Amino acid sequence: MNSELHIGQLEAKSQCLLRLRDVSFSYSDDIGTLHNINLDLQHGEFHCLIGRSGCGKTSLLKLAAGLLSPKRGEVFWNNQSLSAPQSDMGFVFQRPTLLEWKNVLDNVLLPIALHKKITTEDIEVAKKILQRIGLGNKYYKKPPQLSGGQQSRVAIARALITSPRILYMDEPFASLDAITREELQHDLMDICAEHKTSILFVTHDIGEAVYLGDQVSVMVKGKIHQTLAIDIPQPRHNAIRHSPEFNHYSATLRQAMEDTA
Amino acid sequence: MRSKSYIWTFFIGLVFLAVWEMLVRLLGTSALVMPAPTRVADVLWVSLVNGYLWPHIWQTLVEVFWGILLGAMMGCLGGIILGESKHLRSLLMPYVVLSQVVPKLALAPLFIVWFGFGVLPTVVMTALICFFPLLENTVTSLQQVDPQKIELFKMLRANRWQTLWRLKIPSGLQSILAGFRVAVVLAWVGAVVGEFIGSSKGLGALIIAAQGSMDTPLMFAVLVVITSLGITSYWLVQVLERRFL
Repeated sequence: MNSELHIGQLEAKSQCLLRLRDVSFSYSDDIGTLHNINLDLQHGEFHCLIGRSGCGKTSLLKLAAGLLSPKRGEVFWNNQSLSAPQSDMGFVFQRPTLLEWKNVLDNVLLPIALHKKITTEDIEVAKKILQRIGLGNKYYKKPPQLSGGQQSRVAIARALITSPRILYMDEPFASLDAITREELQHDLMDICAEHKTSILFVTHDIGEAVYLGDQVSVMVKGKIHQTLAIDIPQPRHNAIRHSPEFNHYSATLRQAMEDTA
Repeated sequence: MRSKSYIWTFFIGLVFLAVWEMLVRLLGTSALVMPAPTRVADVLWVSLVNGYLWPHIWQTLVEVFWGILLGAMMGCLGGIILGESKHLRSLLMPYVVLSQVVPKLALAPLFIVWFGFGVLPTVVMTALICFFPLLENTVTSLQQVDPQKIELFKMLRANRWQTLWRLKIPSGLQSILAGFRVAVVLAWVGAVVGEFIGSSKGLGALIIAAQGSMDTPLMFAVLVVITSLGITSYWLVQVLERRFL
């Protein structure tokens, strides 16, 4: 029985792409940002982090990506201790963070250009991704010539160009209008299902978290207060936003956030 | 709309010259004190046609060119080094500011003692004047890069060199070129001031020579040449900015 349990634990461990164990972090000695965070992210899982402003969602995302180092505890990537960003990770920031002096194609190819000479195959892959997200006719446009939604798409394409195993996303759709946001949510789910990419996604929006996530963690004052598995079958479509399950999960998460306010 | 504003700018200049000409003629002012614009134009034309001005223009152009090149290189390089190292910045910036507070004109006699008469002291003076705006703008622009873009480069595992060349310098290029624009205009001041004291050739030296021979129209003609060259160099930098930004 004990050995079965041990084997089961090992299997679970080996399936975990990302693990955070008792992670604590603060920007200065007085201000505690994160306390004893434990989080597991499986291969292909879409995990959303929700919470009020300043609860530490972005810090947790940056810790998980290796952009910040924990004060206590440890972050494991592929069962190895993580100390810096890895080549098989992608990050989409809150703002598109595009280089204004480069065109769309060069922005998308940036992660490759920093480490090797760009080949025609790389250009083809970049063009394919851009076509996939509806920017097939914008290769040579500069970022200021694009709308907010198009810039966000370029940022996603740039994160996908290296075929990352995980995508960290920090409220990437927060500044977009409702229709564009829904379109991008849909595209993101499709692309990630195609490539089996795991996602750690930070959002303020409860509806967005329920629609996208396989798991949703509610963060309160630097702690993970509750993690909820969203048992709505994939692929999801806009119609589920009006389903009783969707409303149930949304209400549960809202309650969790309000209880701790 | 833009061409209309150019026409107005030109018209204002024309009115200014007409009023000047009228006042000189009406008041009968001596050309020794205030020559009429037509007289200045006449002297300028004759000096250009008979080749009297060209060696002086060439000399000043050479000094300005080398002064800008030296000053820009020192300013950009110094700006990059100070912009990248907080420690060096806090250590050396007070001395850089101190070097700019010292009046340049007061340094000119020292430069003559150190570098002799001729091109070199003027080039050094010009470089010293060009150096600061470029250094200041480079340091500031490197520090003002969007922190999220720095994080992006960290996420993409870019090294310090790549972050500098592929992010910080292109991000700050607009501000660096603005510093260059200021430096180019100041370079003419540096060259002329250097020539006032340490040279027998060049437009600055010519002004001093004209003053000695009480040739006020020639002084004005040289001023027109210096101003035209200054404006042309400023315009060239603007063209460069439009080309690269």
